[in-house]
Amino acid sequence: MITFTSFPSTPAGEYDAVGHHHETDNEMEVDLDDDDLSSDGLRLTLPGDYLTSSQAFMRGHGTYVHEDQVVASVAGTVERVNKLITVRAIRTRYNPEVGDLVVGRITEVQPRRWKVDANSRQDAVLMLSSVNLPGGVQRRKLESDELQMRNFFEEGDLLVAEVQAFFSDGAMSLHTRSLKYGKLRNGQLVIIPPILVRRLKSHFITLPCGVDLILGLNGYIWVSRHIKASDQAGEEGFDAEAVYSNQNDDIDEPTRGAIARVANIIHVLAAHFVPLTDTILLEAYEWSVEQEEAHKGLFQEDIAEALVASLHSRS
Amino acid sequence: MGSRVEILNEGGFRSDGRRQYELREVTIDLSQQGQADGAAVITHGLTRVMVSVFGPREAKSRSQTIHDRANINVEVAISPFSAGERRKRSRGDKRILEMAATIKSTFEPVVQTTLYPRSQIDIFVQVLQQDGGLLQACINATTLALVNAGIPLLDFVCAVSGGVSSTSPMLDLTLLEENDLPNLTVAVMPKTGKSTLVTMETRLHVDRFEEIFKLVCSASQALHQEMKDAVRLRTMSLVTAMGTVQSNVGGDTMMDES
Amino acid sequence: MISLSKAEKSYIQAGILAQPPHRSDGRALHDFRTVALETGVAPLANGSARLTIGRSLRGGGGTEVLAATKLEVEDVKAGGVDGGRVVCSVTCSPAAYPHLSSGALEDLQYDMTTIVNQTLSHPSLHPSNLGIVKGQKSWLLNLDLIVLSDAGNVYDALFMAARAALWDTKVPRTRSIEYKAAAANRSTGGMEIDDASGLDTRQQPSIADFELHDFWDEGEPLEGREAWPVSVTLNLISPMYYLDASAQEEAATPLRLLLAFSFLPSGACLQGTRVLGIGELDAKTVKQGIEDGEKYAREVYTALNSKLKDEDVRRNQKASHRFARR
Repeated sequence: MITFTSFPSTPAGEYDAVGHHHETDNEMEVDLDDDDLSSDGLRLTLPGDYLTSSQAFMRGHGTYVHEDQVVASVAGTVERVNKLITVRAIRTRYNPEVGDLVVGRITEVQPRRWKVDANSRQDAVLMLSSVNLPGGVQRRKLESDELQMRNFFEEGDLLVAEVQAFFSDGAMSLHTRSLKYGKLRNGQLVIIPPILVRRLKSHFITLPCGVDLILGLNGYIWVSRHIKASDQAGEEGFDAEAVYSNQNDDIDEPTRGAIARVANIIHVLAAHFVPLTDTILLEAYEWSVEQEEAHKGLFQEDIAEALVASLHSRS
Repeated sequence: MGSRVEILNEGGFRSDGRRQYELREVTIDLSQQGQADGAAVITHGLTRVMVSVFGPREAKSRSQTIHDRANINVEVAISPFSAGERRKRSRGDKRILEMAATIKSTFEPVVQTTLYPRSQIDIFVQVLQQDGGLLQACINATTLALVNAGIPLLDFVCAVSGGVSSTSPMLDLTLLEENDLPNLTVAVMPKTGKSTLVTMETRLHVDRFEEIFKLVCSASQALHQEMKDAVRLRTMSLVTAMGTVQSNVGGDTMMDES
Repeated sequence: MISLSKAEKSYIQAGILAQPPHRSDGRALHDFRTVALETGVAPLANGSARLTIGRSLRGGGGTEVLAATKLEVEDVKAGGVDGGRVVCSVTCSPAAYPHLSSGALEDLQYDMTTIVNQTLSHPSLHPSNLGIVKGQKSWLLNLDLIVLSDAGNVYDALFMAARAALWDTKVPRTRSIEYKAAAANRSTGGMEIDDASGLDTRQQPSIADFELHDFWDEGEPLEGREAWPVSVTLNLISPMYYLDASAQEEAATPLRLLLAFSFLPSGACLQGTRVLGIGELDAKTVKQGIEDGEKYAREVYTALNSKLKDEDVRRNQKASHRFARR
């Protein structure tokens, strides 16, 4: 089946300068404080905007100092913590912090380390010494491990890890030294803007429809089959040898359907720039089941609009 | 062909009905394009350019990495059907390489590359339609795409072209005017008034140069306003979208504050 | 191509082979993502179209292709072909393949150019109205395609966009004029296109040239435009196949069979076929694939045609609206 549509006449994000006058009268800056307040009182700023004096405040991310003034260098919201002024860009690559949970993809296998794409300014580094090897958590690394690194992770593999530290050039190093971390299977990846993933108590979410979610703070979301609590890391049903397996488990039909549905919901929410939380995902999932639309229907724009509208009204 | 058309008639109108100092209509589209980290489509009259920005990201090859700052990589492509006469330029075409180099040097002093050592920022310029002022459109679209990608800039960079018809200076030239008049393109950082690019491939009297240069600089302030409005509108709509639903779920999403 | 882990690949493959089949975005095996199309997007071209597959209305994602035709007058004696010719070329924007090196990008667009050009410039599809003056002048039709973004199924997008742009193409009306040798000076008037054609009037009793009709529209459509083909790509995960693969699905599918069909009143014609990917296909699969492919291609053809007619109506309305406003 194939359907054709037209392009929207004015795409979202289109700014049309019709009606503005183009005469080159040298108008002065309007006072930015009034019209830059968004609906919930956040202050918006743009690159080159003066924020405040640098004598009284310290500059943080997204700002620089010019002639005793703190100046914004990105478009976004101004945040102030005590004397520290930062500007948070809305759409940007992932800015890692130590302790963050991320989902990444192996791009390269190097001597004693892997390079990992995690949607950041550089590929992250996962040292061989920062992973758990099969056959016991505290086992010493052997030379043979170095020779068979591709048996653990190879190019293209997805993994969940924690940001451990930074190198001097700003690249992050990761570790998977927890049974919760490691290689990912039984599901599919969804990529969304990192700002839409908030820091939560736990980034491992289980939805009642038999779907597990890992919300990487870098905007990579892993949607997969639910692993029963008794089979999870540390429990007796846990298969330690399967940690580096590339084989998926058998996934039944309803679960596949649910995974696809959740993935589509995340796409829709991201397209409408709605931040992800477990509550919202759950509400959205319930809504989509209530509507009894085939889940592919979520890609149709009117249904997506209706979903987001229903989320707005539910509070 | 051009010489037969009056560039500036006695009533003070140009061939497309504009006044001497009038800029063409500008439209700006900041919606997402493909997989780009940031993108912008700008039109100046009939000239239309799309820029996609990727990065800062891992450099594609080691040889391109710079140890203390990000490498800016600019690639320009001109659609063969963008001009009156079809012309297919290959990637290695001199004119294209020169344009890419000009854009790169315009933005190198403005992008805070030192924040991203060893990374790469890719700027892919796609020219969709040409009717003069190509360089100004490329530069303005690049500014907007970089801002849209959240890449830190010291300031906007706004470019405007200008020329002189006998003794009358004019702004934002069409192709017809560009072919006939001595013209220049200037890129300005509006906050400080510093310019990061001045190009001129034709002859112009020194006295005239100063006049037109000043005029172009002040025109860039007007353009700055348009570009800021577009970015503000886009940022506002995203922030609002994030805010409305977030407030519904209450405080439990703001865990990191504690 | 984008890289996937073995687990992701086998997840996608197992989904296709499952009973009932499950795709990662919930589509049925033979469903396309939403296709958006607009013709007449390039004002300086003779025909043009913009086409996206699976692009969100809010922007972003999806496969996006621009196609445009430009007509040039060619001298038959100086390299042109009597009766005109069609030349297609595909360019890939680096933004569509942000991870490819420029060398790999060149290779890719060369492959795409070969497939599209070989199929569309074939004599069986040649429009009969590209000649201007027999034996002297003819039109060179350049079809340029630009891949702005690739989220899978780029070949079907290229062929659909090509068909739309060719459908939209208007050939300027021309009228031949002949000059007897005695009068054959250079004073042939303002509308002459090519006055330096190197014709030696002493050897020829007359020369021929043409002038453009000054007419209210931009010209007439290409002759036989119904015949421009559409393609379907069958993505094979033996024994199943599916249509309109996303980028992830493509990376998990070893073999793809590209089929381009023309639909004429006399019946369907297979205009081009290509096996994409590494592997082998048995004859039975190919035979069955062509049979089924024709059915799906016809669906694409019918849907595309009705959209193209809608576009013609929309643009006529827009034009008359603009005219009325004056």
